Amino acid sequence: MKSAMRFVANLRDFRDRSVRVVLMALIIAVATVGAINLFAGHLQQVLVTSSSAFLAADRQLDSENGQPIDAAWYREAQSRGLETAEMVRFSTMLYTADTSQSQGQADGGAGFQLVSVKAVSDGYPLRGQVEFQAGPNAAVEALQHGPAQGEIWVNRRVLALMQLDIGDAVEVGALQLSVAGILVREPDASFGFSSLAPRVMMHADDVAATQVVQPGSRVEYVGLFAGEDSALESYYEWLQPQMGASHEWDSIREGQTLSDSLARAERFLLLGGSLAVLLAAVAVAVASRQYALQQRDTVALLKTLGLQSGQIRRHYQRRLAAWGVAGVLGGLALALPIYWGLSRLANRLLDRPVDIAFDPLAIWPAIVTALVALFAFAYPPLARLQSVPAMRVLRSAVSEQHRGIVKDIALGLSAVFILLCVYTQNVWLVAAVFAGLAVLMLVLGLFGWGLVTALRRVTGGASAWRLALVSLFRHRRASLAQLTVFAMVLTLASTLYLLRSSLLTDWQMQLPEDAPNHFLINIAPEQLDSVQAFVEQHSTQAVEFYPMVRGRLTQLNGEPVKEAVSKEREVRALNRELNLTWMAEMPADNELQEGQWWPELGDRAARAVSVESELAERLGLALGDQLVFTVGAEEVPATVTSIRSVQWDSMKPNFYMAFAPGGALDSLPATWITSFHLPDEKQAVINEFTRTFPTVSVLEMEHLIVRIRDIVTQVGQAIEAILGLVLAAALAVMAAVVTATLEARQREGALLRTLGAQQSLMVRSTLLEFALLGWIAGLLAVIAAEGALYALQYRLFEGDFRWHWPLSLSLPFISAALLALLGRWQLGPVLKVSPMRLLRRLD
Amino acid sequence: MSVAPSTRHSSYDTPAQAQVHALRVESLAYRVTVGEESLDILSDVSMAIAAGESVAIVGRSGSGKTTLLGLLAGLDSPTEGAVWLAGEEMTAMSEDQRAALRAQRVGFVFQSFQLLPALSALENVMLPLELAGKDDPRERASDLLQRVGLGERLNHAPRQLSGGEQQRVAIARAFAAAPKILFADEPTGNLDAHTGETVSDLLMALNREQGTTLVMVTHDKTLAARCQRQFHIEAGRVSEVRLNAKAELGL
Repeated sequence: MKSAMRFVANLRDFRDRSVRVVLMALIIAVATVGAINLFAGHLQQVLVTSSSAFLAADRQLDSENGQPIDAAWYREAQSRGLETAEMVRFSTMLYTADTSQSQGQADGGAGFQLVSVKAVSDGYPLRGQVEFQAGPNAAVEALQHGPAQGEIWVNRRVLALMQLDIGDAVEVGALQLSVAGILVREPDASFGFSSLAPRVMMHADDVAATQVVQPGSRVEYVGLFAGEDSALESYYEWLQPQMGASHEWDSIREGQTLSDSLARAERFLLLGGSLAVLLAAVAVAVASRQYALQQRDTVALLKTLGLQSGQIRRHYQRRLAAWGVAGVLGGLALALPIYWGLSRLANRLLDRPVDIAFDPLAIWPAIVTALVALFAFAYPPLARLQSVPAMRVLRSAVSEQHRGIVKDIALGLSAVFILLCVYTQNVWLVAAVFAGLAVLMLVLGLFGWGLVTALRRVTGGASAWRLALVSLFRHRRASLAQLTVFAMVLTLASTLYLLRSSLLTDWQMQLPEDAPNHFLINIAPEQLDSVQAFVEQHSTQAVEFYPMVRGRLTQLNGEPVKEAVSKEREVRALNRELNLTWMAEMPADNELQEGQWWPELGDRAARAVSVESELAERLGLALGDQLVFTVGAEEVPATVTSIRSVQWDSMKPNFYMAFAPGGALDSLPATWITSFHLPDEKQAVINEFTRTFPTVSVLEMEHLIVRIRDIVTQVGQAIEAILGLVLAAALAVMAAVVTATLEARQREGALLRTLGAQQSLMVRSTLLEFALLGWIAGLLAVIAAEGALYALQYRLFEGDFRWHWPLSLSLPFISAALLALLGRWQLGPVLKVSPMRLLRRLD
Repeated sequence: MSVAPSTRHSSYDTPAQAQVHALRVESLAYRVTVGEESLDILSDVSMAIAAGESVAIVGRSGSGKTTLLGLLAGLDSPTEGAVWLAGEEMTAMSEDQRAALRAQRVGFVFQSFQLLPALSALENVMLPLELAGKDDPRERASDLLQRVGLGERLNHAPRQLSGGEQQRVAIARAFAAAPKILFADEPTGNLDAHTGETVSDLLMALNREQGTTLVMVTHDKTLAARCQRQFHIEAGRVSEVRLNAKAELGL
C-alpha cells in the first residue's frame, strides 16, 4: 500500500517541467543508442550479406596449385555446421558441336571460342544470386543455383560470337553440353585478370568427363563456405595449420575495394553513435541539475518537517529509478519503430532482403546508456539535495547553486568516456573526440567571453536590438553557458554532416559515372596503334595504354626473396607472377610517397623501379633496396628509387612495380593493357571489337561497378539516417538548455511587462537575442567543425580536406533561425504569465 | 490605418478635472468563476485619487487588496467597471497599450523586491529607464542609488545585498523613470521594524519630493497612518476611513 502511494507520488513528479525534460533526454538517449545499435547490427548483416555475395559465400578457400581441395576439409566444415560448395575455374576452347569436324561456319560465326569456365557444384551460390535468362528475350531471373549436369550457361557475348541459339549443343573437351540459357551476372564477379575470356558456367560434376583438366593443367579450385561467424573462425583456426603456400583464405573483410568503404562506414556509425550518447548525456545533465535546483526549497521544508538525510536520499533515488524505467521503456518504444523503418529502407535495396531481427543483446547498450546518464549525470545533483540545510526555509544560502559542479562534470565525463570506449572498442577515437571537445570548449569559452564582454558598453533603450545586446551581456553567465553548449552541439552535428558528405563524395569520386568499365588485355605491340584508334573513337575520355611484362620477384638485396621475407610476412604477390610495366608519367591517381620520379634520377633511372606502397610495407622494402626480377629466363636487376600509393579501386590498370621507359624492361616481350569507359548504348561495339581483334581479351566490369555503387548507396543511406538521429539529439540538447532558463525568463518577463515593456518589444528582443546567440554559436561551430574535420579526415578516414563554403556561410544563419525558433517557442509561456504573479508572490 | 483608442470620459468629467485625478475608479467589479459558482472578489468599487496624494489600502488577508492593486495598475482587467490612470481609460486599452502607459507613468515596489538576480543593483535600476527610452540611463540610475544610500554598491548583485538594501534598490528603480504614480505592495512586509521604517521614510520622502501619487497596500498600521487617505477593504467592498484633521490637512 505504502509503495503504491509512493509510486503515485513519483508519477506526479512527471508533471514537473524539468522532470519532463530529463525524461525526454533519456528517451532520446535510449532511442538513439537503441536504434543506432539495432540498425548498425542490421546494416552489418546487410553489408556482410551483400558483400558476401561477391564471394558467393562468407569465405572462400582458393587453391592455385592445380590440386583439388581435400574432401576431408569440406567434411570438417560440414561437421562444424557450415554450408559448403565447390567451384573449379579454368580456361578452355568451346566448340559448337558440329564444327569440331567441319572447321568453322560459312556465315562468319566462329565455331570456337576461348572461354573462361566456371564449374560449380550443387549449393552454389551460398550467398547472393545468379542472374539468368532462359532466352535472349526472356526475363532475367535471380536463381539460387547453377546449371544442372549436362547443361551450360554462356554469357551474351559467347552467344553472339559463336552465333548460338538456346538448346544448341556445344563441346567442352570431350563432353557435349546443351546451351540452357544466358548467364547475365554471377555474384562472384572476378576482380582479377585470371579470367580474360568470356564466361561460361557448367556443373562441377561434369568437369571430369571433359578430360580438359589434367594433373598440372592451369586450373583453380575454390571452396565456398558459409555459416555463423564463430563457426567460420573456429574452422579457420583448424584449417590454417594445414594450408599450403598456394592456399588462400578470403573473406570480404580482407578484400580490397569494399573493406575500406566498410571500415569507414563502421567508424562513421560508431562516431555518430558516440556523439549521440554524448549529446543526450549533456541534455540529461542540464535538465536534472535544473530539477535539483528547484527541489531545494522542498527539501529544506521536508527537513524542517523532520525528514532525515537518508530518507531524502532514498526519496530521490526512488524518483531516479522511476525516471530510469520510464526513460528506458519510452526510448525503446521509440527506437523499435525507427529501427524497423530504417531497416525496411535498407532492405529495399537488396536482392535478397535480410530478416529484420530483434536482437535483445543490441538493447543492452541503450539500457546501460540510460543507467550511466542517470547515475553519472542526474544523480550527483540530486544526491547533494540531502545536504541542503533546513535553514534554507528561513534564509536561502548564498551561491550553493554552483557547488560540486566540477566534481559532477569530472564524474560524468569519466563515465561517458568509459562507456564510449566500450561501445566503439576504439580508445583512440574516443580520446580524440574528447580532446577535440576539450579544446573546443576552451576556445569557444574564450571567444564567447570576448564577444559578450565587448557588449559591455552597450546600454539598453527601447529598441529591440539594444535590449537584446544588453540582455546578452547582463546575463553573461547564462549567455556564455548557452553559447558554449550551442556551439558545441552545432560543431558536433556539422562535423558529422560534413564527414558524411565528404565520405559519400569520396566514394562517388572513386567510381564516377564514367569509371572505366572495360579492360583490354593482351594487346600485341603491333596491334597497339589500331586498338588505340578504335578505343579513341568510342570512348569519351583519354585512355592510357600500359605495357605489361609478367615476371617474378626473386631476389631481395642479394638473397632469395623467400628467405629475405620472413614467414609471417608471407605475401600473395610473391607466389605468382607480377605484372611489371614501364611508364613515363605517374598515373594521376598515384601519389609519390618517398623517393624521386625518373627525371630527377638522371642516369640511374635506367635501373630504377617504383614500388607500390602497401607491397613495399609488407615486404619491408626501402629506398635503395636491390631487387631482381625473373622474366622468362632473364634476370632483371633494379634499385627501389620511389614508393608510390595506388588507387586499387579506380578501375584502371594498376601496377605493383613500374620501371622507367628505356629501362631494363624495354627489350623484353610485352603486351599492352588499358581500361576505358564504354557508354551503355555502345555495348554492341565490344562484339565488333572482339571480331576485329580476336586475340585481345576483353574484361567487362560493369556488373562489378553496379554492385559497388549499390553498396555505397546503402552505406550512404545508413549514414544519413544516423545523422538524422544525431541531429535530433542535438536539437533536444538545445531545447533542454533553452528550457532550463524558462523559470528565470518567466520571472523576468513578468517584471519587464509590469515595468511597461510591450509584448511586441519583448518578442522582438528575445528573438534577436537568441538569433544573435545562434549566429555567434554557428560561426564558432563552423570554424571548429572545419578544424575537427581536418584532423579527422587525416587521422581517421584518410580522405582529402577541403573547406566547405556552402555550410560555412549558411550555418550561422541556420543556427540563428533555429535558435530564434526555439526562443519563440520558449517565449510562449513567458508571455502567458500574468504580471499579477509578481503581486501574488507565487514564485 | 490604425486608430488610437478613444478614451471615454464620464459625463461630468471635463479634461481639467480628469487631470486632477491621478487615478479614478468607477463601479469596479472582479469576479472569478470556479466550476458552477462565481465568486465576487471585488464589487462596486469607486474611488478617485488626486495627483500627489498618498493612499493606503488596508484590510485582512484575502480581502482583495492585492487584486485591487493589480487592477488599478492595469496588470489585470476587471470584470466590470472602468479605471482611468492619468486621465486615460486603461480598461479600454490593450495589454501593450497599458504596458506603454506603465512605462511612462507608473512605478512599482513589491513585497518580495523582485530584483532580477542576474543583474547588478545599477542594472536593475536602469531597466525602467531603458524601457521608457530615457537618455543616460546609467547616470540617472547611479544618481538614484546614491540618493537611497547605495552609491557604494552599484555593481553588487541582489543576493549580495540585505533585504533592506534590496528594497532600497527596488525603490530607486520605482522612482527611476519619474513616474506620476507609484504602486507599492506591502513594501515593508518582508523587513524588520527598524529597516521597514527606514524604507518607509525613503518612500514617503521621494513621494513628497517628486510629487508622485502613492498607492500602497499594507498591513503596517504606522505606514498606513502616514498616508493622507486610507481605504479599508472588507469582503470585496471598499470604504474610505475617516482620518483626523491633522492627517487630512497633510501636516
